[in-house]
Amino acid sequence: MEKGGKGVRVTSWRMGHDQGPRRAWPINPDAASRLIKKAERPVLVVGSAIEEVDGLIDIAVRVSKTGIPIAATGHSIKFFADKDVDVAEVNVVEITNMLTDPEWEGLDGQGKPDLVIILGVNLDLTNQTFSTLKNFTDIPGLNISRYYNTNATYSFPNLDNELWLEYLNQLCEKLESE
Amino acid sequence: MPETKKIKIDKLKGKGLTFEDMIIEFGKIEEEWDEPMGPTPKPNLLALRSWDRKLLERYEPFYTPICDMCCHCAFGKCDLSGGKKGACGITIRAQQARQIALESAIGTACHGAHARHMLEHQIKRKGRDYPIDLGLNVATEAPITRTIVGIKPRTLGDLEEVMDYAEKELQKVLASIHAGQEGDYIDFESKALHVGMIDNLVKEVGDLAQIVGYDFPKGDPNAPLIEFGVGTIDQTKPVILAIGHNAAPGAEIIDYCERHNLSDKVEIAGICCSAHDLSRKKDSCKIIGPLSMQTRFVRYGIADVIVLDEQCVRTDLLEEAIKVKSPIITTSEQNCRGLEDRTDDNPENIVRDLVEGKIPGVFIHDPAKVGEVAVEVALKIAPLRKDIKAIPDTKELIAQASRCVACEACQRVCPVNLHISEALKEAEKGKIDKLAELRDLCVGCIRCESACPKEIPIVSLMEKAVEKQIKEEKSKIRAGRGPILDTEIRNVGPPIVFGEIPGVVAFAGCSNYPKGAKEIGEIAEEFLKRRFIVTSSGCAAMALAQYKTEDGETLYEKYPGIFDSEGLTNVGSCLANAHILGAAVKIPHIFARRNLRGNFEEIADYILNRVGAVGVVWGTYSQKALAIGTGLNRWGIPVILGPQGSKYRRLYLGRKDKEEKWEIYNARTGERVKVDPTPGHLTYVVESKEEAIVAIAKLVMRPNDTTKGRQIKLAHYIDLHKRYMGTMPDDLHLYVRIEGDIPMNMKEEVKEILKEKGWKERIIPDPTLVERLVWKKEAKA
Repeated sequence: MEKGGKGVRVTSWRMGHDQGPRRAWPINPDAASRLIKKAERPVLVVGSAIEEVDGLIDIAVRVSKTGIPIAATGHSIKFFADKDVDVAEVNVVEITNMLTDPEWEGLDGQGKPDLVIILGVNLDLTNQTFSTLKNFTDIPGLNISRYYNTNATYSFPNLDNELWLEYLNQLCEKLESE
Repeated sequence: MPETKKIKIDKLKGKGLTFEDMIIEFGKIEEEWDEPMGPTPKPNLLALRSWDRKLLERYEPFYTPICDMCCHCAFGKCDLSGGKKGACGITIRAQQARQIALESAIGTACHGAHARHMLEHQIKRKGRDYPIDLGLNVATEAPITRTIVGIKPRTLGDLEEVMDYAEKELQKVLASIHAGQEGDYIDFESKALHVGMIDNLVKEVGDLAQIVGYDFPKGDPNAPLIEFGVGTIDQTKPVILAIGHNAAPGAEIIDYCERHNLSDKVEIAGICCSAHDLSRKKDSCKIIGPLSMQTRFVRYGIADVIVLDEQCVRTDLLEEAIKVKSPIITTSEQNCRGLEDRTDDNPENIVRDLVEGKIPGVFIHDPAKVGEVAVEVALKIAPLRKDIKAIPDTKELIAQASRCVACEACQRVCPVNLHISEALKEAEKGKIDKLAELRDLCVGCIRCESACPKEIPIVSLMEKAVEKQIKEEKSKIRAGRGPILDTEIRNVGPPIVFGEIPGVVAFAGCSNYPKGAKEIGEIAEEFLKRRFIVTSSGCAAMALAQYKTEDGETLYEKYPGIFDSEGLTNVGSCLANAHILGAAVKIPHIFARRNLRGNFEEIADYILNRVGAVGVVWGTYSQKALAIGTGLNRWGIPVILGPQGSKYRRLYLGRKDKEEKWEIYNARTGERVKVDPTPGHLTYVVESKEEAIVAIAKLVMRPNDTTKGRQIKLAHYIDLHKRYMGTMPDDLHLYVRIEGDIPMNMKEEVKEILKEKGWKERIIPDPTLVERLVWKKEAKA
């Protein structure tokens, strides 16, 4: 595990996949929660890999219940159909494409997201989604997946499974407080 | 088109005039063909630019850079992120498009050089006048060539004109990529589409040449079932393994064995597309598997001689072969591997040097000599090589696993992020189940071994974990049948165009799957059960042979090899996948009587609006796969990529939420009208098998579907969405054009949804993107 934070070098989980001079700020649950709370229209992009680790679906539901809509990509909509959350089904490259459109008004037509949070999306697609956001939009990307991603604006560091779930739980608790 | 003819007259005497050694040369004879020449024979970079812009206006390029830098010239590196420009002025968007054009050009060059070699080889064997005769049922012998080049090739020599054109266009695309040339991303994309179309063309040339030259199956729906898998290899015989794509050396191995009555005494097997093509020539040749099997199979030590030709051959195979004392013969000028050129040497000397181990391998640029040397070496070396392998025994496996320090470097370089060190920890305790599970998901890139600081032979340990099972692995694959018959097109053309056959699903691409080969089989089976037409080629066709149904059969055994509902065709190698596109091109020609000759735009417009075909490239690694897909896109065929396909950097995405993007001409009236957003995308990426299945059902819809056809397609879409997504689709209102489109048994449920969405009926036009294709008379009236 590489701990994030001041003075600690965090490297891309995929060795050699740092694709340019700009690197994501490593972030902890506390800072992530403040970032999310500060955003006016955050969206939580949840992919099919959400089913691969026990407890992740519940985490997504908890985050969403703090007022953050879920963009369910891949086939992940099936995990939220019976949950009482604000969820919309969308393909991950389609939503990323729409995010690059200055005139797009969001999945609900009420306005474009101002923070994109990613959880449980395939590793390659997470990387490529953040790459597009970084290069073609002003929208910050927050990666709360298990692996540090340089293309995001902010990212959890590389974590083992146990600590990752702990980070996510802490994030939920922070978001749920107040 | 007949070639230039020469007549030589030794002596001709006339009144006061004597000619000696006279040669009379006839130029090209005008084509006898009742089709008039269309507007774009041999299109250059500009001829179809307006068509590309129509496509790209609707399906805008979407970029996901994999690198923010440009390293193309010595001005650089240039950081292009955050809106910065490079030293030449290029933007990150244009740089992505340029890279796509370059990689498509590389893929096309690979197929093109292969096709040129195969053509020259067959001309040398058979002569320029050798006819291209695919039989009465394949009268439209070269649909892609007819449409793009505007000729109807009758002989092998006629195909040289096609290659001349293709090579010229490839050079121009490459020139446009140089610093300070093209700079606009849409124009780069147009060039990528152009060179992708050229890729489709050269593949058709290469496969036609080998079909007629080697007498491969000519569209036979009953092509034989071929033995597939490591377990099919008779290890009591000398084994020759061919890896790559070019059938020429392997074909000579087969011929040499036949001439010397050795066919029963030598086992000939292949990996990757060479395997397809060898089994098209002789059905006793075995297919080991796709390109991901190369290193693994070599490490088993089963191959007594390894013959490498070209494309997708691992660059470290010589190193691997040395470990198991298997001599290597390289055969392609594109792929010499540093080996000594012994093309002009006496075969006996070469055989002696290889058998005695004086040299690890040789380069021989003469397929016939390769045939002789490979067989003779195999016969002599096999008894000396018994039991040599690079797979550890169980004790060694445990010892190696215990050296793991759990640094996770292996996982961090793994393209599919396999949890390797966890499996090694288990193996250390003698539990190899996890390693065995990983082996099914491993894509065979061997990066984990290179990254391991302890130099643990991770892939060999995985192989050991499944060795018994792999060595018993036996399956069946249908031999590559080549083209789709004109008679089949006559049968399926109308129901495809009207939408009553719900779609054609074509599997192609590489073998680096996100979750193993099994998923391709599961996707294919889902659509075979639903009476779609399923077709395949290359490594994807092999993945289908690795999958077994609940009954224990492969899909090739369960479903017939016809191009029809519930049929599963394997057209053959990568070159042969031109026939899948060829089938789509034949539909407007045979069913709708549209002229092909030099008439690209009209044919592509027809396919885009009427032919519900979709390509699935579930494994994506090579530049060739990119070129194939980009070419298909120019013809209006959408392609779905697995998640790794996002690393190609560019997709062509439609916006179903933007109504104005879906405006077309109604060919009956000339009016501009808005249609349903179909097909939704041209290049698309999905995350999971489940999403792929639903996306296929949606991407086969076309604006021309009849109401009956649309009912059928919507019924599948809704049913699959419910099954794999757990919900009703939320975009049904976009695909129901009139009430008659609603599937009968879902009327009430769907009508309720339409009401909520404020749905209104739309007209079903005769759709075209091309104004000149409007029926002028009626439009004026």
